[in-house]
Amino acid sequence: MNKLTLNAISLVLLAAGGVTMAAAPAAPRYPDGTVRFDRVPGEKGYWDGPTTTSLVEKGAKVEFDASGKLKNIADAAKVAPFQPWALALYKFRQQNNFIDDPLKVCIGPGNPRQMMTPGGVRFIQDKNYKRMYMIFGGGNRNWRTIYMDGRDPPVAEEVTATFLGLAVGKWEGDTLVATSTGFNTRFWMSNGGLPHTEALTLTERFKRVSKETLEYEVTIDDPRTYTRPWKAAWTLHWTPGDIQEQFCETGRE
Amino acid sequence: MRRVLAPLLLVMASGALAQEGFPLDGTWRGETVAKDGSHRTIVLILQWDGKQITGTMNPGPDGTDFTNGKLNPEGWKFTLDVKTTKGVPVHFDGAISNLGKYNRVLAGKWTEGGSSFDIRFVHE
Repeated sequence: MNKLTLNAISLVLLAAGGVTMAAAPAAPRYPDGTVRFDRVPGEKGYWDGPTTTSLVEKGAKVEFDASGKLKNIADAAKVAPFQPWALALYKFRQQNNFIDDPLKVCIGPGNPRQMMTPGGVRFIQDKNYKRMYMIFGGGNRNWRTIYMDGRDPPVAEEVTATFLGLAVGKWEGDTLVATSTGFNTRFWMSNGGLPHTEALTLTERFKRVSKETLEYEVTIDDPRTYTRPWKAAWTLHWTPGDIQEQFCETGRE
Repeated sequence: MRRVLAPLLLVMASGALAQEGFPLDGTWRGETVAKDGSHRTIVLILQWDGKQITGTMNPGPDGTDFTNGKLNPEGWKFTLDVKTTKGVPVHFDGAISNLGKYNRVLAGKWTEGGSSFDIRFVHE
């Protein structure tokens, strides 16, 4: 074996070792192969630490502070494909320091803002009833149900509008895809104050790419507010322990 | 007592609500006093369908539907042209204030036939 061959073998082994060292532990699975989005028996943990503080269209170069405020208000139009009224309202909220943010009077974050609200998320996969329950520590310790039994999404005009919408879900490989309609307009869709109407439909894609990381992508389709559907994405991280108890209280800030 | 308290609490709660969706969506009630001292109430129900502002003026037996409301987000100016059930042309030209509040205000000039007056609508 000549020196060149030995060097080549060494490089291959080093690269393989590097990959092994860098690879994150795989997402746990149920015996039937379905990815577990929650704990394995005996474990404590939940999803938290969203990597964004506001909704912004994928690929847009825009900077926010921790509250969702734009560092440069001139970037407002880059955040999403607004209709003119929606852009004006978004700017109004941004320039008024979110004084009318419903969260300030303990109104829940709604969806998808809930997914960027710190405080923790868990997914309870109920295989008997073919449902996924999501329980939230942030906001108002709320929960939502994703029906996985193959039913059609509800017609928005025929249901009582809610903060988190009415969701149906399905698996696309290891990705949970949830479609939600039936939203009320009593909440802000993001920390930054993005508006929406009752025509809102959300398509969310949840993927546990490793034990530690949950990728989240949401498609926002609200033709009364935005000129076309658009996507935003961020990740959440597995956090050891239990979701802590916290409740919103007005007048105690 | 409960019958009195429940609506009162509802009104107090609504005062604390913020505005969220399309600013004109919903019911607007305006009251004005004519020169002869008589009171007049005008109700507008407005809705945004993504392309146009539609609605009804004074819903009921004398209600009139319209599809030509126009909002200019610059200054939040709103105009409306409609005819009453008797065929009298109406023009309203106003602007939204207290934009961030649930009980926001739409104030402006109402011209109906040959007369015009200022009116202040409140979002309900």
